[in-house]
Amino acid sequence: MKEKNKINWKTLAGKPEFSTILMLVIMVIVTACLQKNFFSQRTILSYINSFTPLILLAMGQAVVIIAGGLDMSCGTSMALMLCVMTRIMDPEQPFSGVTALVIGLLVAIAIGLINGFAVGYLRLPAVIATFATSYAWLGTALFVTPTPGGQQVAWFKAFYDMKQVPGLEAIGSVIPTALLWILLACVVWYIISRTRTGRYIYAVGSDAENAYASGINTAKIQTIAYVINAVFLYFAAVYYAGQNGAGSAHFGDTLTLQAIAAAVVGGIAMSGGRGNVYLAIAGALIMSFVSKIIFFADIPNAYQTLVSGLIIIAAIGISAAYAASQKKAALKGGK
Amino acid sequence: MDNRPVQLERHPLRDMYVANRKVINTLLMVIIVFVGGEMIMTLFKHAQPGTFLSTTQVFLTIRLAAFVALFGLCQMIVICVGGGGLDLSVGYIATLAGILGARLMDGGNAGLPAAILTAIVIGAFFGLCNGLLTAYAGLPALVVTMAMANIVQGIVNAYVAATPIKGLTAPLLEKLAAQFTGVFPNILLVILIAVIVMSIVIQKTKIGVKILGVGSNETTAYLSGVNVRRVRCIAFVVSGIIAALIGLLLVGYLGQASKDMGSNYVMPSVVAVVVGGCSINGGEGNYLSVVLGAIVLQSLTNLFVALGWGDAGKWLGYGIILLAMLAVYVRSKRSR
Repeated sequence: MKEKNKINWKTLAGKPEFSTILMLVIMVIVTACLQKNFFSQRTILSYINSFTPLILLAMGQAVVIIAGGLDMSCGTSMALMLCVMTRIMDPEQPFSGVTALVIGLLVAIAIGLINGFAVGYLRLPAVIATFATSYAWLGTALFVTPTPGGQQVAWFKAFYDMKQVPGLEAIGSVIPTALLWILLACVVWYIISRTRTGRYIYAVGSDAENAYASGINTAKIQTIAYVINAVFLYFAAVYYAGQNGAGSAHFGDTLTLQAIAAAVVGGIAMSGGRGNVYLAIAGALIMSFVSKIIFFADIPNAYQTLVSGLIIIAAIGISAAYAASQKKAALKGGK
Repeated sequence: MDNRPVQLERHPLRDMYVANRKVINTLLMVIIVFVGGEMIMTLFKHAQPGTFLSTTQVFLTIRLAAFVALFGLCQMIVICVGGGGLDLSVGYIATLAGILGARLMDGGNAGLPAAILTAIVIGAFFGLCNGLLTAYAGLPALVVTMAMANIVQGIVNAYVAATPIKGLTAPLLEKLAAQFTGVFPNILLVILIAVIVMSIVIQKTKIGVKILGVGSNETTAYLSGVNVRRVRCIAFVVSGIIAALIGLLLVGYLGQASKDMGSNYVMPSVVAVVVGGCSINGGEGNYLSVVLGAIVLQSLTNLFVALGWGDAGKWLGYGIILLAMLAVYVRSKRSR
């Protein structure tokens, strides 16, 4: 204890945040080396634009995992919201955008409630229950848009990039629209995490039995976690609707695994109850940079599924091994 | 006065039902779906009687359901040993083995042994990867096998991009997988053999006792000296090998290999196991009821297609059925 003022590297390295941030820094350095004009405003803007949906998905996934669940349906449920919204919108009638927003939100809440009902109230294993619902969402999305397509009203573009909509250029040029979505999600989670519900989510995730015994309505808390997740997915869906103006039932298929991996890389413990939702953003950034690095490394298109699968397994494996080693160290050292 | 509790009269039929409850329940479901489908078709769609329910139709349905049932075997073995396992990579392993197998067979029976050997090696390798990552590293099986599915599909994509798919099925496999003897589809024979082998393995051998023991209570199994991790790992290896062999049968069924021939069977195979009444928590394994579960699914799919709901109805229906069956069979208990 003689060097109290010095940074204690050992304790710092022991924190789960450390490995995540370190990995992120390495990723940024590698990407910056590979790309010439990495620090130009345009490159950074395009990165923010393409990374945002995965960040939102990962944050939602993080909330659910902390509550002791897992959402295997996040990609398909996002696709369903996207399909519904782009189907409702009619470029001839500007007001149909409002209808789409409202109905999209209702769909999101319904999805969250159904997932939460299955996991919380029916007490089904979260992994397989959401695996089942993911196919229900896929089927519904196929009913809504049998073939990829859809439309958007002109002002909906503002949800992707305010610069493209007259009247909002001023805001759009100050701050990228995509960043506003992430800020919004952070604010939502900040408010929730300050409430009793926020603490209950952690309590239920770390030990549902004890949480129940101490009077927490565990089923309700898990349902709330799934609804929060669905709302974050709704943000991503609105963002995509603004960007593409079209939807497809299979749009989100590949995003599910990436979102789970991003949350895990962000230090969210698969066992539940531990982790920081904001760090899921770092996790999503790491996953996104990895795919950028694959892109720059001139790996042929055909190999990309292969490499991303390998990386997901490696990421989850390393995080699990790291968590286990920290636990072991804690058992050895701390008494 | 006799105050003893009333002893229910033992009846041979009742005993039989209790012993084979899940098989009989699933069989009832098969009958309900077939009869119900026939009624819906004749009443609402004004179809000829016998369009949905006739001997040929039933056997055609069984032939279509065969591959879901076979993949269900992989799924059942993995689910059986518990630990929340599922194997989502089976369809993709089958595709890879099928593509390589078709090249080796090249339309003749001579290449069949080489193809089978290759399939076993491929299946064992990816099964071992799954097993090591789930049983030994303790990662969630669903995430691992889904990522493995990505990896295997990635290998398939890369392979197909480099060398075009080539080769035809061996005539022997075609005979086994695609052709009929009278009204009987030959693949029914494969399934019957699998049912008999599985029931002998599960009920009569030491391995069966270990499998069910690990699945129903891992602590007890561990304390009685069973290597829980090894049993779980081996389950994934066996699942991988069977999946790869099914891949060869799929080539026989389709005549040639294609890039995504196996992937559509993965989700239905999971549903078939759950509809067949095998608890997703492990410790139960009755392959006959899984086969019946697959037939239920296939006849439901036929009904959806006949009603013109196509793919959307199929996936929505599978999702809802899976959720409903889960709610019936595997709600975790809590003292309330």
